[in-house]
Amino acid sequence: MLTYIIRRLMLVPFLLFGVTILIFGMLQFLDPVERASLYVRGDPKANQIDAAIRKYCLDCPIHIQYFNWLVGKVDSTTGEREGGILFGNFGWSKTGSQPVADLIARRFPNTLDLTLWAVAPVILVGIWLGVQAAVHHNGVIDQAARVFSIIGTSFPTFVFGLLMLMFFYANLGWFPPGRLTDEFSRVVGSDEFIRYTTLLTIDSLLNGRFDIFLDALRHMFLPILTLSYISWATFLRVTRSSMLETLRQEYVTTARAKGLSENDVIYKHAQPNAMLPVVTLAGFQIVGLLGGVIITETVFDYPGIGSAAATASAQLDVITVLGFALFNGLILIVANLVVDILYAFVDPRVRLS
Amino acid sequence: MPDLLLDIKGLETQFKTPEGVVHAVNGVSFGLKEGETLGVVGESGCGKSVTMLSVLGLIPSPPGKVVAGEALFSGQDLLKMTNEEIRHVRGAQIGMIFQDPMTSLNPVLTIGRQLEEPLMLHIGMTKHQAQERAAELLSLVGIPNAKERLNDYPHQYSGGMRQRVMIAMALSCSPQILIADEPTTALDVTIQAQIMELVKRLREELGMSIIWITHDLGVVAGIAHRVAVMYGGYIIEEASVNDLFANPSHPYTLGLLGSLPRVDEVEHGRLFSIEGQPPVLYQKPTACPFAPRCKWVMDRCWKENPMLESISNEHRVACWVDTKTGRSR
Repeated sequence: MLTYIIRRLMLVPFLLFGVTILIFGMLQFLDPVERASLYVRGDPKANQIDAAIRKYCLDCPIHIQYFNWLVGKVDSTTGEREGGILFGNFGWSKTGSQPVADLIARRFPNTLDLTLWAVAPVILVGIWLGVQAAVHHNGVIDQAARVFSIIGTSFPTFVFGLLMLMFFYANLGWFPPGRLTDEFSRVVGSDEFIRYTTLLTIDSLLNGRFDIFLDALRHMFLPILTLSYISWATFLRVTRSSMLETLRQEYVTTARAKGLSENDVIYKHAQPNAMLPVVTLAGFQIVGLLGGVIITETVFDYPGIGSAAATASAQLDVITVLGFALFNGLILIVANLVVDILYAFVDPRVRLS
Repeated sequence: MPDLLLDIKGLETQFKTPEGVVHAVNGVSFGLKEGETLGVVGESGCGKSVTMLSVLGLIPSPPGKVVAGEALFSGQDLLKMTNEEIRHVRGAQIGMIFQDPMTSLNPVLTIGRQLEEPLMLHIGMTKHQAQERAAELLSLVGIPNAKERLNDYPHQYSGGMRQRVMIAMALSCSPQILIADEPTTALDVTIQAQIMELVKRLREELGMSIIWITHDLGVVAGIAHRVAVMYGGYIIEEASVNDLFANPSHPYTLGLLGSLPRVDEVEHGRLFSIEGQPPVLYQKPTACPFAPRCKWVMDRCWKENPMLESISNEHRVACWVDTKTGRSR
């Protein structure tokens, strides 16, 4: 098990290197003047751009540029490091009017918050539906689940999201878009409200403001519902087919021949085996959520990383988009690692070989 | 015969498929006496496994369905039992082992866990007692370091050892009957012999009855007291093992025996084989199902399906032809 984890960990530097090469390669499509905004804050003046080009050698051979891009340069007068993605300097975001890293730091907690509350309904319910469909193969539950799943797959997110918004917000007024009611936003912005974790739901509980907590959940309800419905289809399909496949295995007959109850056969013998492909899918789903769900966040005006990325792409803010891409790459690598390790926990054949 | 442990009468099992209803078992009757080993022989698809799975209610349903017959086990009809009732027969009074030990153990559960389950379920042992007993069972089937090996997973065992584990599991609650569904087919010959020796030894020690399904007549000769030969969902010949090998009477049995390679044969010609394929029956046959492949075939064979008839004491055959004389019976 330990060697397995170490082997996986040893892969990480190579993957990181690959990601930086890709992103850096894409930066090369920009001319040096555009690339200068990696290093110049705010609206750059002409002389600043020239200075940046000279300082970071933006017209030098590629390997020198790559090195500078990775570690940046220490300013000889102030002693401060400028640039260098290894130090978290992803450049200046025009659309966010702040460094890309700050934009991520401000938006990511909202996305994380959404992910946190979406994981259970999206993944667990999806898996549960898939298992039920497989267990009642060709029965009423299975047929209903399949219809439900086809609708989910073919429903565009923005249409479903808008329908939800129309019904639950415009007609019923229950679940508003956005992040928080104005009144609470002011409280959260004030000094009394301590940001322990930067996750709004957790912080509001820690501050003892249950009303803010509920308000935050109320605003997240529709995005979560939309995400859930769209992903249930996928989870249902994968879990169902994996479970059907598993239920046909001989060891399931063995379990029945031992006299186990049908519940034990399904949940103790079949399901752990059927979960193997689902673990992989769940990993990618979480990465997808953490990377920001562009359409859902935009439809519900939710200030996460996805809506920031949408704004940046719409205005050709390449530096911001590539900054996000880099960040996404990091998340993907970490998540992959976690999935691989989880896999080893679920499957002894991986763990012990 | 009042002293039958298991008495199967007129069992019929069908499967619904997109091509139509497949008649897999078409009225099979046989009995199993206490302490007896019955060999069930036939080629793939003749209904041997389906018969046994039907008896234990293990036919996947849908598409499978037992449509007729009864299976009396100590006076109770297994086929009429509720799921809950038959659950206490499976694993407790009738144990079963399967063909492929590579796929019949759950890959994500430890061997120990899989062995302990029936003990805790049927005998009501505590986890601790079950662990002790599981280790004993493993040593009983000849696995060294049993205690440590309980924590291993199936993929850490070889094929032969897995089949030993399956046997230990099937016998864990001291069942009265062991149903072995081609337990040696997937193993190499030396391991086959070991497994057969093991089952014979356990049969002596535990005194259970065995139904041994196989397509290997050599295996049957080595282990069974009585043999039933199946074809097309019917038992077409049934006799004591000595009688069957000495006086095979159904053309199919003759064919099977003729296809065995012989060590004492001087000339090594091509191995004999029965021409054609076994039938897939989409309706209950009105002719003898073996007729298309039979070299003794007569007019009557195409018109009527022969029933199992006694030709001598405890030797029954379903055939219109007396294969000794080549004339109608």
